[in-house]
Amino acid sequence: MTAALLALLVAVQFDSAPKPRTVMAIGQVALINTFVNRVDALVFKQDWARSGTRVWGEHLRLGWEWDEDAFTTNMFAHPYHGGLYFNAARANGIGFFQAVPYAIMGSWTWEYFGEKYRPSLNDWYMTSFGGITLGEVFHRVTATIRDNQATGRGRTLRELAALPLDPIGSLNRLVRGQWRARGVNPPEHDPGPYMFRIGAGARFAKGLLADSGVTSIGAVLVDLLYGDPFATEYRSPFDQFGVRLMLSTNGGFSSLRASGRIYGANLNNPTRRARHVLAVNTRYDYFKNRAQSVGGQSVEIGINSRWPIGSRGYAFRTSVFVDGVLLGAIDASGTGLGTRTYDFGPGGGARWEFAFDRHGARFVRVFGQLEYIHAVSGASADHIVDFSGIEANIPITRGLGIAAHSTIFHRTSRYSTAPKDERNYPEARLLLVWTKAGGFKP
Amino acid sequence: MELGTGPGRVRIACSGCTDVVAAGAPTSYFRIGGTVSDRVVIGLEVFSLLDRAFGFSLGDTSTTAETATATVVVLWFPSRRGFFFKGGVGLAAGQFTVPGTAGADTSNGGGIGLTYGIGWDFAISRKFAITTNFAAYVTAVGDVVLPGRRVDDVIATMYQGAIGFTFR
Repeated sequence: MTAALLALLVAVQFDSAPKPRTVMAIGQVALINTFVNRVDALVFKQDWARSGTRVWGEHLRLGWEWDEDAFTTNMFAHPYHGGLYFNAARANGIGFFQAVPYAIMGSWTWEYFGEKYRPSLNDWYMTSFGGITLGEVFHRVTATIRDNQATGRGRTLRELAALPLDPIGSLNRLVRGQWRARGVNPPEHDPGPYMFRIGAGARFAKGLLADSGVTSIGAVLVDLLYGDPFATEYRSPFDQFGVRLMLSTNGGFSSLRASGRIYGANLNNPTRRARHVLAVNTRYDYFKNRAQSVGGQSVEIGINSRWPIGSRGYAFRTSVFVDGVLLGAIDASGTGLGTRTYDFGPGGGARWEFAFDRHGARFVRVFGQLEYIHAVSGASADHIVDFSGIEANIPITRGLGIAAHSTIFHRTSRYSTAPKDERNYPEARLLLVWTKAGGFKP
Repeated sequence: MELGTGPGRVRIACSGCTDVVAAGAPTSYFRIGGTVSDRVVIGLEVFSLLDRAFGFSLGDTSTTAETATATVVVLWFPSRRGFFFKGGVGLAAGQFTVPGTAGADTSNGGGIGLTYGIGWDFAISRKFAITTNFAAYVTAVGDVVLPGRRVDDVIATMYQGAIGFTFR
């Protein structure tokens, strides 16, 4: 079946009309599911992948349940997988909103027909909504990495660098001969204003490696701002987004946050010096270490404001947002009936930020966030998570600088059958950072 | 603006349960929204199901089951013929009431709700249409605690076939 689908897709692939390739996108979503299922069943001999008509009938009869997978599997691997469905559509010329059903249906069909486990409601949420947010971020980031004007080894390296973030897009380009062909770049290639910052250093935290005491571990932090809420007028979803990724020497993948604008509007005259813009964002959150595991998919609405200071590019910025958590997850003691160690539930909250920037690159940032999660699977509990901090970036030379961060994570969990759980996790970071920014107007 | 009613079926699953409980029940809905393009409508939908003879076990029909969702929905009309797809996500609430020795015992829960389905608008005039709906509503409302039993991590899936009246 995989071979037949592949042959069909290759045949249709060379229909190079500029219109959206709906059949190709649907076929690729089906191929992703078929390929993953067959590889797991035939190569890795996984029993859960041996689904068939009897299993499908059972799934349709019994319906949804909550699964017991590990936090990283549910909160990162599934959203990444959802990004493959989403980008199967985006890579075939389908727009952002039109690509949303591909992520939702790709996940639904996998849950019902791709494995022997009963369909998991949390997987459907995380794969669909996480896949939309991460998928579009990956689609746009890889569009900036790839360069259809480049040639030679540099061109190949760019295509290879984009492969892990957008494998479906990369494979489509490979089959179409676009790894070598020269042509115009898509509009997403140029984000307009941008800021990329990467830092390496140490995290100092209480409870990171043990139950008590302050310890230090190595960390790499990446910040990306694609577009700018003030310089980039809203034209299409995710024409402005921000990403933060943190990797640590202990535990590897520590945090990932991505927030992208799906709607924006000016709240005052754009020619005014002080600017206020409304934004509706989708947000993906993932934080995991020995002290805390929390994440989810959210939609937020709020106001970004910027007040220029002087004429040398300095400005004061604020952001105030309220959000609805479509489905969140948080570690909880004694949760679940099986091996799972965290709760699932919807919620809501707010976040705020004050910052000083120069040409879009923030050098002082003070922020806070408060989120409430009501567990509907796991412990019978209500969780309140409070995360705040201050970050300073001190330039040393052009591009290079030192970053000092101080954050505190506080949580309160109220269980119906257990005592209240309250915890504080302060953390400090000292990093050597390199910043590249461009496209911002003074 | 649209409101309608019709028969439904609720299927309740839970963590650790080896089977599901299903029952027929009446449903109703109210939807209000506006167009964002000539083919897309965004709105708010409130849906409810009420079963006064529900049972968590075979032969038991003593429970009153009420579930409701409030979701932001998107209706997509692929053509101008009235056929549409619907999808939405939001919040849900569930209430289960059983007669007890000292009055009724009630278990309430709130959680997530989502809906998807198809429908057809039959335009009667420019301002009025009769709409058919076939939709699924998935609600996860947490644990249901009733006298003598606890049902963990309840997920109620409701299927609805309804006729509605749309006023534009």
